[in-house]
Amino acid sequence: MDSRRVWTMLLPLALLLTMVACGGGERQGARATAGPGGAGAAATATAGAVQTGEKPVRGGTLFIGLAADISNLDPLRSNLFVDRLVQYNMYDSLVSINEKLEIQPALAESWDTSDPKAVVFRLRRGVKFHDGTEFNAEAVRWNIQRILDDKTSPRNSELASVAGVEVVDPYTVKLNLKEPFAPLFSLLVDRAGMIVSPAAVQRAGADYTRNPVGGGTGPFRFVEWKKDERIVLERNPDYWRKDKDGNPLPYLDRVVFRPIPNEETRLANLRTGEIDVSDGAPAKDVEAIKKNPDLIYRAIPAFARDGIWLNAAIEPFNNKALRQAVAYAINREEILKTIFFDIGVVATGPVAPPHLGFDPSFKGIQYDPAKAKEKLAEGGRPNGFSFKLGITAGSPQTQLYGELLKDQLAKVGIQVELVQQEFNKLVSDTQNGNFQASLIGWSGRIDPDGDMFAHFTCTGNFNYGKYCNPEADKALQEGRSTFDVEKRKAAYQRANRIIADDVPYIFIRNTVATQVSTAKVRNYLLMPDQIMRFHEVWKRSS
Amino acid sequence: MTQYIVRRVLIMFPVAFLVTVFLFVLIRQTPGDPVLVRLGEEATPENRAALRHELGLDRPVAVQYVKWLGRVLRGDFGRSIRNNQPVLDALAERLPKTLELGLVAFAYSVGIAIPLGTLGALFRRGPIGLAASAFTFAGVSMPNFFLGTLLILFLSVKLGWLPPGQYVPFSEDPLDNLRRLIMPAITLGTAGAAVNMRLIRSSLLDVIVQDYIRTARAKGLPERLVFFRHALRNALIPVVTIVGIQVGALWEGAFVTETIFAWPGVGRLTINSISGRDYPVVQAVVLIAAFSFMLSSLLVDLAYAWLDPRISYVKRRG
Repeated sequence: MDSRRVWTMLLPLALLLTMVACGGGERQGARATAGPGGAGAAATATAGAVQTGEKPVRGGTLFIGLAADISNLDPLRSNLFVDRLVQYNMYDSLVSINEKLEIQPALAESWDTSDPKAVVFRLRRGVKFHDGTEFNAEAVRWNIQRILDDKTSPRNSELASVAGVEVVDPYTVKLNLKEPFAPLFSLLVDRAGMIVSPAAVQRAGADYTRNPVGGGTGPFRFVEWKKDERIVLERNPDYWRKDKDGNPLPYLDRVVFRPIPNEETRLANLRTGEIDVSDGAPAKDVEAIKKNPDLIYRAIPAFARDGIWLNAAIEPFNNKALRQAVAYAINREEILKTIFFDIGVVATGPVAPPHLGFDPSFKGIQYDPAKAKEKLAEGGRPNGFSFKLGITAGSPQTQLYGELLKDQLAKVGIQVELVQQEFNKLVSDTQNGNFQASLIGWSGRIDPDGDMFAHFTCTGNFNYGKYCNPEADKALQEGRSTFDVEKRKAAYQRANRIIADDVPYIFIRNTVATQVSTAKVRNYLLMPDQIMRFHEVWKRSS
Repeated sequence: MTQYIVRRVLIMFPVAFLVTVFLFVLIRQTPGDPVLVRLGEEATPENRAALRHELGLDRPVAVQYVKWLGRVLRGDFGRSIRNNQPVLDALAERLPKTLELGLVAFAYSVGIAIPLGTLGALFRRGPIGLAASAFTFAGVSMPNFFLGTLLILFLSVKLGWLPPGQYVPFSEDPLDNLRRLIMPAITLGTAGAAVNMRLIRSSLLDVIVQDYIRTARAKGLPERLVFFRHALRNALIPVVTIVGIQVGALWEGAFVTETIFAWPGVGRLTINSISGRDYPVVQAVVLIAAFSFMLSSLLVDLAYAWLDPRISYVKRRG
């Protein structure tokens, strides 16, 4: 046996594995993002579905091209963003949101927060799971308890504010809270609030997450999932939602999700009509898609952000004036146009455009080179200074982004040394406080608390730069501990101004949520969370 | 002969063993943590510790390895960290799809290389030889992702002849399955075809001037027999070696090609499991890749004996 030859043959494989391993990093529901990403457009459209006055047609199959295969269909285990695109069409949650991100009834018809340390949900009656069993308070209790009991579930930390759950009567359930926690509702919109049939889970056991037959109450029932190939759902004839004329929903007979990881291929499939809806599109092709009468491209403001973490614990950014100098020296418009093909909006602070507490009249710190020089002088470095900026290696777009930042800052005398790092390394270095500045984005949450509390309170888990301002802490604490929407709004407006001015993070861009589909797809509800909801969609035959 | 084969097969196991040790350690050294991938950044330290314990990742690597090896020897490759699927099921779902793609690509790469290489050698100075060289040059220098994207844009979007990727099972629609196989197979096989072609061409040019060819001609053998029985057969020996190594290149190419054409094979499983740090799946995939390399290398050596009677693996007496 010529074992040398075997090794020669194995070596390329080993190298390849290493390469792939280093370039890894899946898009996740909850994680920092690697700088540029995602398509969208100058946000002009409004949220919601386009109302055309056409009469919906029943039937048909909708094909959707996903950017990746899903990982888990059991909400208890799910950890990828793409999972949710399927789950929202299979399951209902206790509550949902509208286009303005206001909490709406879903499986819970109403709720009572008069006791700040408890939420009492009154549930919808007559809803059945796809396996025929009944949805009721006991099912909700079982689901919430399942999350509270499972320390290995990503949902466990989401419900950290819940002390326990009890059935009050067959259609009333009570969540006892450790302390008042308003963002709980936004978490119950998503996977922590999705209610799964206890009988279906008990029947399937450990296989449930891959074969969740009969598990939901949602508009479509699970049929099959062939890994990397397709996920098929079929119409739930007993769905509880009706359209505005009282007709049963959904209109479609089937939805078929096909994972097509290469975005060029996904667009080719959309152009040739092999798929009807695409999960995003290459940024460079957006203009062409907009001009194509057979395709639809819409975008609305979303909450993911791009920007730079500054380490407020060490030189030079323990000096607020120097942080502000950098913020004034960055031309966000130019970045948006040259790096992001004008897709997205210029960010003004931690509160994103769709969020509760967003103030369109507040512009935060914007490009002003004269102001930047003033701040340099105020910070005791009139001739500028230099710092290291960590960026993700391997993406030409991110490299251009870094070079542009470097040029912009050089104009006011600030020297940037770009340090390219593998994404996981960049994140772990930043988490450990081993950085001066890091270009790391954030995927965003429905509730502003999810984008601010852990990031900008003195002891927050994601406060990588050790920024600390008791005033910001107070505003953010207030925002989460009252259920009163007006009070929350005021708190986030206050926190937004304080944090934008303190610059623990340089807010550069907010993303947009997009619809990319053929013109056959009608009544598609576009929401800032970018989740695909097909319960009201119908498909024109030509 | 049988003894030789048995010995070769037996020696695969220690080699595979070394591969697994190497990989087991390597993948645990790459940045990124399966626990973080599954729980996200918002998980508490308590959550992380609980999952780490459940997955057995809190034990020393040596202990993890021994436990894993013990189970593998009993035929149990464990379950995916990502979605709890038994690893063998995950492989069984994907392997036939990659094999289908790989075999067709392989057949294409060899099937096109032999005639083109021969033509290139026979008419090396004319336009045919030039065209063959041009094909070689383009095929070798074009990366998979580029060729694949080009094919999709041209054959699917522009001309509408073939569907742009996606897999349809043979059992559901055999014709559609094959239609969707054409572009991925060309993408995967072209680089290999080009290399093979160049090799056959140069090898033939070497052989054609050998004494035994002159002898064959002098015996009065018809040119056809000289060519097929004497020249081509001998020219193929170095080609077989390269073709064997190309099985490795096919594995690598499958990563890219399967991603471009949304082909649900082992390549995509591997990429997903590496980026998700799904250790049990990665380990199984690499083990299978290692065995397939070794198997193809064995087949290559056996093919030598068939092509060249001077090579024999049977010990002669006396």
